[in-house]
Order: sequence, then structure tokens, then C-alpha cells
Amino acid sequence: MLGSVVAGLTSGGVYALLGLSIVLTYRLAAVVNFAMAVIGAMGAFVMASLTDAGLNVWPALIVGAVSGGLLSAVLGAGLVRWFGAHALRTKAAVTVAVYVALMALGLRLFGSVTTGARRFPQPFDAPAFVVGDVVVPQAALVSLALAVLITVGVTLLLGRTMFGLRLQAISERPATAEVVGIPAPRLALAVWTGIGALTTLVIVLVAPRLGGDFSTLGNLVTTALAVAMIGAFHSLWLTLAGGLLLGCLEGAAASLEAVQAYRGVLPFLVMLALLWWRSRHEVWDTATAAR
Amino acid sequence: MAEQILDVRDISVARGDVPIVYDVTLGVQPEAVTVLLGANGAGKTTLLDGIAGLAKTTSGTIGLAGQAIAGLPTYRRAHAGLGYAEQARTVFRSLTVEQNLLVARTGNGDLGTAYRLFPELERRRALGAGHLSGGEQQMLVLARALLGEPKVLLIDEMSLGLAPVVVRRLMSAVRELTSLGIAVLLVEQFAHLALEIGSRAYVLRKGRVVFEGPCADLAGDDDLLKQYYFGTAEDPAEHDDTAEKVAAEGEAR
Ligand SMILES: Nc1ncnc2c1ncn2[C@@H]1O[C@H](COP(=O)(O)OP(=O)(O)O)[C@@H](O)[C@H]1O
Ligand SMILES: [Mg+2]
Repeated sequence: MLGSVVAGLTSGGVYALLGLSIVLTYRLAAVVNFAMAVIGAMGAFVMASLTDAGLNVWPALIVGAVSGGLLSAVLGAGLVRWFGAHALRTKAAVTVAVYVALMALGLRLFGSVTTGARRFPQPFDAPAFVVGDVVVPQAALVSLALAVLITVGVTLLLGRTMFGLRLQAISERPATAEVVGIPAPRLALAVWTGIGALTTLVIVLVAPRLGGDFSTLGNLVTTALAVAMIGAFHSLWLTLAGGLLLGCLEGAAASLEAVQAYRGVLPFLVMLALLWWRSRHEVWDTATAAR
Repeated sequence: MAEQILDVRDISVARGDVPIVYDVTLGVQPEAVTVLLGANGAGKTTLLDGIAGLAKTTSGTIGLAGQAIAGLPTYRRAHAGLGYAEQARTVFRSLTVEQNLLVARTGNGDLGTAYRLFPELERRRALGAGHLSGGEQQMLVLARALLGEPKVLLIDEMSLGLAPVVVRRLMSAVRELTSLGIAVLLVEQFAHLALEIGSRAYVLRKGRVVFEGPCADLAGDDDLLKQYYFGTAEDPAEHDDTAEKVAAEGEAR
């Protein structure tokens, strides 16, 4: 059981990072991006195709990340150009459409579960250390460290750099940000590119554990959305905690035979619990406000 | 007419697809305060938004120091020298006072000038902008606009909801801006205060300019101003339902 929970941490770090991508896109670009993971999967499969063709891992990884970044930038630019003034739900609907389209395209290009699973490189497969009878793989440490590092990095970027302060200004008052001379469209594009590249790296990291087929990876967006909900689409640290929690829960569920087959519904259950919890609080809030 | 630093010709402005401002021609002279008056809903904010690029202009041209800016996105108009202190004190609440100024700095924009004009802000530089009083927030919005080194500054209803003593403080700051070489287009509910510091005035009614002339022609004459705001009885073609409503309410009481 403990071993499964620790193994779950590997996924947990990855879930945290995917949730982070969703939260950042929401905060900085005002879009709930359902196509986030499938864009990362596209980038990851570009990389896998290149390594299959004999290219060295590192250049392939860079090309993959750049592809994911560019694809994300194209989606972002389209949203800014044609849906900039539209409501949140319209933009979310557009990303759902893009998700469906990219899913179909990806399956066509890279094959389905049975035919298309790629062998992703597994650089962190070796055990890092052993506690009692629990083997902690390097991948768990790497994904944990990366999740913490990126959360810290993004927090510093937003709070301490001119680029980050301007992004905060845009996220709070997009029109006023432009009024004071901040080139909002250009910065938004940088954000979309960065998040696309980051998501690609995260998908590459998790791909070997999940079997490396396109649809599994593209569908990670449900988990990412659940994690983003734990962070209330705002807090980076709650998002990090949420990712780790979900990873551990999933690990625990995997070790219990009775629930093992149903662990796929975990993100859904988490979302449901959160919705119930928050609505309970809203009711309570209005009750006190009325007094 | 003297040369104009902001030269707005025949612009019409729409919100979504609803036309709000029609064929307005208006000039702002350098180092002076130009006053734009009008009743609530006359279209003053919409006109300023159109000049700044926040609302869609459907016709006309906008010249800023000789450069045509009507086709530019909002941030490029700012870079061209257009400052805009929007209605409703639009500080970035998630940033500190100083960060509000820094994100707006372009080129040589200088915190010193802003702080000299508003020493209150320097004392609160590390405070979150959301914790400022209304008057201080308005000062921050003006100071922030200065960091973009504007040639022309549009100011919309800066005195709304503020105490008279604060309003006077802001008005004298606006007058100081002109001595820094900035031209001001001032939209104001307190017409008499604005007319005191302004040189030329325009009155907007239902999206059209109905008066243009020296501020002195309007100053001190509330009846004349009211006529321009709401239209006159002798002018049935311009008959205005706002005036009618006001009259009806008066009778009801
Ligand atoms: N976003 C909007 N969409 C549609 N109509 C608007 C919008 N904003 C303002 N209006 C309408 O435009 C008219 C002028 O508004 P506004 O420019 O704010 O006037 P003022 O600033 O002179 O009070 C009003 O009738 C108002 O109802
Ligand atoms: Mg207004």
C-alpha cells in the first residue's frame, strides 16, 4: 500500500504540473483550455517520432517542446484574434472543439491504443533509494522536484519580474493594461507558447508510465482540470498540493483490488466533492449575509 | 484655431454594433485643459474609449501630434503619446502602488515626477493599491498615466464620489500637468470646477457636439449649461426625453 502511494507521487508531480498549466492559462489568458493535454501529447509524439527515426533524445525533446509551444501559440493567437471579446464559456467551447479535432488528428497520425503506443525514453527508471521494502524510483523524485521547482519559479516570475507584473496587470484589467501601454497580445502569445512547451515536457515525463498511447495522454486534461479545481483556478500552491494528493489517492486506489478498476473516476469524484463543498459554503455565506 | 496636439475629426463610435457617438470633431490644444461636458449617458466615456481604441470607431480620423492613430491597437496609441485615466479608478489592485507605476513605464518615464506631483503615493509606495483611499487611487491612476510620457492625457470623471477638498487637490494637479507640457482633455461632472481650469469647452448631447467655445462662455451660467445638456424647448427637432423625464420627476414631487 505504501509502495503504491509513493508510486502515486510520480504521477502526482505530473498532475500538479498539468493543473498548473490549466491554472496559469486561466489566470493569465482568461481561458479554460480543454486542449491543453492533447497539445502536449502532440509535442510529445513529435519527439517520439523523431527518436524512433534515430534522432538523439535531447534535440528531439527540444523540437517536441517547440512544436507543443507553437501549436499552443496558434490556438492562443486564434482565441485572441477571433474570440478576444467573447465570454469565458465561448472560449472554453472553442478549446473543446480544438481538443476533439486534435484528438482525431493525433489518433490518425500516431495510431490508437493497440497500434500506436510509443516507446518513450525512460531516463529516470532506476530506483533512487529504498525505504524498508518500498522502492522509490528516480522518476518520483524528478517529477516532485520539477513540480516544486516550477511552482516556485512561476511564483517568482509573476511577483518579481517586470514580465510577471505586467502579466498580472493584464490578468486583472486587460483593457487598462493596454491603456497604460502594455503590449497585451504579444505577452499573451509568450504565455501560450511557454505553457505549451511546459505541457509537452510534462507529458513526455509521464508518458512511459501510462503506456505511451495518444488518447490516454490527451485525456489527462480531465485530471488536470480536477487539480486546477482544487487550486480554485487561482492558487499555485493549492494546485501543487492537489496534484500530489490526487496522485497518492490514485496510487492507493491501485493497490486496493476492490476499487482498482474504478480509479479512472477519481478526478470526477474529486470534482464532485469540491463542487459540493464549495456550494455548501456559498449557501452558508449567503445565509450569514442575509442576517 | 491654434494648432492642435490631438485632432479628432468626424469620428463615430459604437459599442458592439450600437452607434453611440456621431461625427464628433474636437481639438485639444497643447499645454491647456480642454473640457468635455455632457449629461449622464451623453456618450463622453464612449468618445474617450473610441479615441483610446477601447471602443470601435466606425468613421473619422484621429491625429496625435501629426500621427494618424485611429488604426492602431490601444497599446500602440499609448506608445504614441496618448494617456488615458479611465473612469472608476482602474488601479491594478493585485499590485503595489509602485508596481502600478513600474508596469506602465515606457522609455524614460520617471517615478520622481509622479511622486513629486503626488507625495501621498510615495509614502504608500509598498502598499497594495487596493488599500488606498478613493482619492489616492485616483492620484495613482493619474500618476500611472504620466509614466507613459503622454503628450495628451484623457481624464474621465476623476472626481466621482470624492470629497470636495480631494477634488480641489486633483484639479490643481491637473493644472500642474499642463505646465509639464501635457495637454489635457477633461471629462467632469463638476462642470464649474472644470470650467475654472479649462480654456476650451465642448458639450456633448446624445452623442453629438452641441456646443464648442471658450470655457468663459459657459462658466457661471448654470441655466445655459442645462440647456446644452438637455436641449431646449424652443428647439423641438432636438427634443430630448432625458429633459422630459427630469421635468416629469420635478412635477411628481
Ligand atoms: N458597453 C455598452 N454597450 C452598449 N451601450 C453602452 C455601453 N456602454 C455605454 N452604453 C450606452 O452608451 C451611452 C453613453 O454612455 P457613456 O459613454 O458611458 O456616457 P457618459 O460617459 O457621457 O455618461 C449610454 O446610453 C449607455 O447606456
Ligand atoms: Mg462616463
